[in-house]
Amino acid sequence: MQEKPNIILISADSLRANHLGCYGYQLPISPNIDKFAGQGALFEKVFAPGIPTQPSHTTIFTGQHPVTHGIVAHGGKAKLGRMTPFLPEILLGEGYTTCAVDTLFRERIWFGRGYEYIIDPSLHHLFYASVTQEELNDRAIQWMTTVKKQPFFMFIHYWDVHYPYVPPDRMRGMFYKGGNPTDPNNHELDEWWDHPVGAMARDTWLRTSNGLITDPNYVTALYDRELRYLDEGIAALSDSLEKLGLAENTMVVLLADHGESMTDHRIFYDHYGLHDCVVQVPMIIRWPAGNLKAGTRFAPFRQLFDVAPTLLEAAGSDLPEDLDGKSFLPQLKGEAEPSGYDRVIGCESTWQSKYYLRTDRYKFILARYPDLMGNPDRELFDLQADPGENHNIAASEPQLVAEMEKELEAWIAEKMEAAGRTEDPVTKEGPVAVEIWEQHRG
Amino acid sequence: MEQEPQKKVAPDAAVPEPPASPGSTPDASGEPEQDLRPEDEALVVERLRELGYIE
Repeated sequence: MQEKPNIILISADSLRANHLGCYGYQLPISPNIDKFAGQGALFEKVFAPGIPTQPSHTTIFTGQHPVTHGIVAHGGKAKLGRMTPFLPEILLGEGYTTCAVDTLFRERIWFGRGYEYIIDPSLHHLFYASVTQEELNDRAIQWMTTVKKQPFFMFIHYWDVHYPYVPPDRMRGMFYKGGNPTDPNNHELDEWWDHPVGAMARDTWLRTSNGLITDPNYVTALYDRELRYLDEGIAALSDSLEKLGLAENTMVVLLADHGESMTDHRIFYDHYGLHDCVVQVPMIIRWPAGNLKAGTRFAPFRQLFDVAPTLLEAAGSDLPEDLDGKSFLPQLKGEAEPSGYDRVIGCESTWQSKYYLRTDRYKFILARYPDLMGNPDRELFDLQADPGENHNIAASEPQLVAEMEKELEAWIAEKMEAAGRTEDPVTKEGPVAVEIWEQHRG
Repeated sequence: MEQEPQKKVAPDAAVPEPPASPGSTPDASGEPEQDLRPEDEALVVERLRELGYIE
């Protein structure tokens, strides 16, 4: 058997961790992903240092925090430095054949770095996120069947649980407990129409033969159906690895770039806000030849910038010096005790410009600019008493707020200095989409 | 760490399983049919371009 493993990195865009059975969801939506988790290792508390798609994937591939690599917004002005380490590029240099089944390079050119092959079936759609797992799997499995030179690295980016939620028609009836999805007297989604993405949904994929979908429980059911559909795709990909004789020495990593807010915090079916529903992501790794103990669950905090150094170490590569992430490979292989971070920091600068500092007990959110939802600039949540982050206790805990803010600012300053930055990238970029939101509100 | 109360399945609530074949459907009585037409998808693209979300 070859020494270096093949590596398949799967990103399920917008996959909310706690909608998977293996993360505690009570509906039978993800039997195949749950089975996959039982064959490998599951990380219970993984956080995205940057959201949404572009900052988060940049972090995954660079092993750097957004304050270091500078990409803090989706669609912002910043460009990734050419000398910033990039996972597929390093693996290519290590002798890997590299392939992306993805569309991200069309939006930001650096996402194409290091790939000898780029396959993009989303070209068959007007909107790239309409591409289905079946279309991606068809090409990915075909490529694995024909690739001559191993080891290989493949990145597959599924969009099924990203809006618009339009699951296959055969799934109608699933995961909805009843009611009238299009009741014109239900106004629970009306606030969403004030947001440009909500208005877009209202004018397109929420329209049905019976009228406009107005029941948020039905929209959540559509998301869950998309997840069930994605789950079938994970099974198909996994089965193909078995059939091709690749399963044993292929390290398969399934993760998400960010989660999804359903109606939490008045953020409807989107991925902004720095609450756990969005910044906490699933991560599951299967690698039979890597001596992973099947069914292992890791509780310590990890961050998405740990993925690149872990995969590089598995590939036998030296690690670049300028990574923020730490490899957890020794823990994964049972050669070290589980460990992680006692606090994590992340940011966003698309619909709002904010940082979060999270410990096991508290979440502190600091705004660089006022947000359009009227939230205070400083929010503090006691995650033990209030895991849903619904009660801001900043006013009653001024000392703790001051301490966490001081710690956060010191960390940002340190990272900026290490990266040679003179300006906080979140402050510099600002909330890049907010002007459109303001115009939409009129 | 959960963000919302976990959806509980009542003991007597049967959660539908996926159909055995694409031609059959679970109980979808009364459910509307989504119809994302090409012109709707084009509108999605247009709106997201305006937002700077896509090129």
